[in-house]
Parts: sequence; structure tokens; C-alpha cells
Amino acid sequence: MAHRRFVLFGIAGVVALVIGLTLTSLGDNLTYYLYPTEAIDQRADFGDGEPFRLAGTVVVGSLDDSGETLTFDVTDGGATIAVRLDGPPPSLFEEGVPVLLEGAWAGNSFIATEALIKHDENYETPEEGGAYDDQ
Amino acid sequence: MTRVQALFAAAAAAIGIGLWFAFNSTADALQGEYSRIINIHVPSFWVAFVAFGVTAVGSVAWLRSKKSRWDRLAASSAEIGTLFSGIGLFTGMVWGEAVWGRAWDWGDTRLATTAVMFFVYLGYLALRKATPDPLTRARRSSILGVIAVIQIPLVYFSVNLFRTLHQTQSIRPDGSTMPDEMLMAMGINVLAFTVLYIALLSARIEVASAEAAAASQPRLASDGVTPPRFNEVEDV
Repeated sequence: MAHRRFVLFGIAGVVALVIGLTLTSLGDNLTYYLYPTEAIDQRADFGDGEPFRLAGTVVVGSLDDSGETLTFDVTDGGATIAVRLDGPPPSLFEEGVPVLLEGAWAGNSFIATEALIKHDENYETPEEGGAYDDQ
Repeated sequence: MTRVQALFAAAAAAIGIGLWFAFNSTADALQGEYSRIINIHVPSFWVAFVAFGVTAVGSVAWLRSKKSRWDRLAASSAEIGTLFSGIGLFTGMVWGEAVWGRAWDWGDTRLATTAVMFFVYLGYLALRKATPDPLTRARRSSILGVIAVIQIPLVYFSVNLFRTLHQTQSIRPDGSTMPDEMLMAMGINVLAFTVLYIALLSARIEVASAEAAAASQPRLASDGVTPPRFNEVEDV
């Protein structure tokens, strides 16, 4: 019957859409971002100038905003990579925060074109101090 | 006061209390005042998930009993769920722009699956609008209502299954990663939004019942004649 076929195609279409979009995100997410240890391990896969995302924490004491661009180090507790950020940092950017960087290798440093604050699931009041100090 | 009016009064009071707690709890050390958005963002998606779950239950109940009250429940709840999904997405984008530095990223699986869920339920509403016959409408939307609910665990666990920009859960079986006062404020708002959901659902089901009753009224013969508009008549 015509209406049953319509319903079945409609359902199949919706299911295909959901699965397809999920798999596409899954595909992207296999390399959605790399931590410094992984980025160094996979250095051969990403040549100079080949874009990928790097996630890590800004090393306290590494931030240098004296030049034209911002330079700092990011770490995942294991490996550390020197980063240069071309462009303005996000408003909450400071030392000790987790960041997600979009950019590429240039030799042993990472040149970032975009930086996002990668806020994790932890919340703290200013009195608790912790990783985030109240400005 | 009717039942629906009483429910809305309770919802208004609950939301008021929730707002008080939202603005009187201590803000997060890193995000500052932006952390307060969590008191709208999380309760909105909580309501959306509950609403879509109710839609699935109503859909199954209709498929088994074919009683139109279950279809009205499913459809009314889906409408409200879609609304709160939209509010959740909007507040999320406002927060993302402020805290992440970017309002949206399709590469993040939590964001992508939530957006797809929103569009699928928009499709549910469109499907109902496009199907005039009540029985066909109920049958098609109940099938979609059952299938689409699979997205809820997909959306919720997306942050655990994939690497995402969106953070993982702050409330877990072994405790929370929020200070107690923030957690309490968020919990109160979840309750307040739930009361609002119940009020909206009751009101929407009442409207749906009235629509169904009106649609089943016997038509008058004179319904077939349309009187001319005033400015269409040449000599009055």
C-alpha cells in the first residue's frame, strides 16, 4: 500500500540521517583533538602546515605576551609543546587553563590559528582556589 | 482556579525560587557569572529528555490501544520537548561563545547529536502538521516517536564515548564535581523546570482535547457557503 511505503521510507530516511551524522562525527572525532604526547607520537602523520587540533593545559610560567604574538607551552602532564598563537586569545585565557588549539606544526612548535578554552566538568568557588585562581 | 492555572502558579513560584538560587549561589572561579547559565541550560535539556521519553511512552501506548488520548499526550510532550531543546541549544551557544570563545562546533559529537535530535523532533512536528487524517497522523508520529527516543542515550553519553569539546558529566554515580551550593541551585532549577513542564503539558493536552472535540462536531450545511467580503461587493 502506498501510505505504508511512504511511512517506511520516511522512517528509513530518518534513521539513515541519524546514523550517517553520528558516523561522520565519529570519523572526525577519532582525530578531533590530540594531546601533546599523542601529537608528538604522530608527528610523522602531520607534516608542517597540516592542520589538526591540539588539546592541553597552559603551563604556568610559560606565557609570554611581550612580543607581537602570544607564546606559551601546553602540556598533558607527560609531553610539552611550545605554542605560538596567531590571533587574539579567548577572553578567559590565562596560565593553568585547559585549551583546545587549532593549527599546525612548524618544526618543533605548534602555530595556532585559533584557541578555545576547554572547560572541563569541574566547578570551583573562588575560595576553594584549586586550579583556577580568581582574577 | 482551574487545575492548569494552579499548575502555572506553582511553576511561576518554583521558577522564581530557582532564579533566586541561581543568582545567589557563588559563581565559578574560572567562568565567573557565565557559570549561572547552567541553571537554565541543564534543566532545559532535562525537560527535553523527560518530554521525549513521555512521547515514546505515549507512542507505544497508542500503538497498543489506539486510544487518541495517548496520541495527544505524545504529541503535546514532543512539542514541549522541542521547545526546551531549542532553549538548551541557545543557552549553550551563549555560554560557548563566552567561555570557550566559540558558539558552535559541528566537530563536537555532543553538539552535533543534540542538534540532530532537535531537527528530528522538528520533523516529528512537521509530520503531524502534514498529515490531516487523525488515524494516519497518530500512526506515523507514534512510530517516529518510538524510534527518535534512541537519540537520548546517544546524546547523553556522547561526551563519554567520543572526544569532545563539551565537558563530561558533573554529576556521576560516585558524586559530583561541583561545589554543593552550585549543585543545589542547579537541582532546584531542575525541579522548577519539571513543574513548568507539567503545567505546559497539562495546558497543551487540554488544547489538543478541545481541538479533537471540535473536529468531531457534525458540520452544518451552511458551512459550505462563504459570505462575500465587504469590499468585494460592488453596490452595497
